[in-house]
Amino acid sequence: MKPPASKLQCQHQTEDNLTAQHGQQQTGREFANADEMLRYDASRTEVPPAVARRLAKSVRQQARPPKRPSGWGLLP
Amino acid sequence: MATAWMATVVEADPSARAALQTLSPDFAGLYEAHSRPIYYLCLRLLADPALAEDATHDVFLKVWQRRDQFRGDSTWRTWIYRIAINHCHNLQSAWSQRHIQPTEQDALLDLAGGDDTSPLRVLELRELGERIQTTLDRLPPEYRLLLLLVADEELSYDEIAELTQQTPDAVRGKLHRARKAFAAAFAATA
Repeated sequence: MKPPASKLQCQHQTEDNLTAQHGQQQTGREFANADEMLRYDASRTEVPPAVARRLAKSVRQQARPPKRPSGWGLLP
Repeated sequence: MATAWMATVVEADPSARAALQTLSPDFAGLYEAHSRPIYYLCLRLLADPALAEDATHDVFLKVWQRRDQFRGDSTWRTWIYRIAINHCHNLQSAWSQRHIQPTEQDALLDLAGGDDTSPLRVLELRELGERIQTTLDRLPPEYRLLLLLVADEELSYDEIAELTQQTPDAVRGKLHRARKAFAAAFAATA
């Protein structure tokens, strides 16, 4: 899986400074190719914690026994 | 979608993970190991953090529901990717029936025939997510998916070929063109 020779370059902040305010010092960064750039982008993208919470709730609901039909279901 | 490019960077939340851990340590382990690449795929395919969040939830709920169907013919990663790709395709199909899609792909493919060794630059890292999203949105869907899959170092060409239903050689050829198209489109976002 040899990467192509193209260089995708950008100025970047270090990982610790990702959320830093405008005006802070930045250093250069060079990406060998699209793969590397996307990997970098993926590495700084966290899954929102809300997903795990919602998932836990959804799974818990799935584990419950099915509800008995309400009176509405008996209506013609 | 003005905020579509925004990658959601948040602090890890131990309580959220603990909630899954109490339900099933095995499932929590799967989520821990694979949720980041799946969320990233959804984010860049759907171009919207909120939709990506919903999609990641739905994908892992399907994983939970279908876990007994996993036969071990592939890795868990590949199996979950397949669910995620199908889920995102279904969402995109539903949208395309309701919206007219702008097409810049032909022009980009012409550009992709040129030199791919020119360096591409952005001024600030803050721009990077936005430019990547804009670039991916301008690529043909197949190129977009291939680039996102090959960016996951845990996937082999054979697995990418299986996920995209083509031969590994076809994947290699298309990836070559996809990288060129990405470089051309990325330069155009400057």
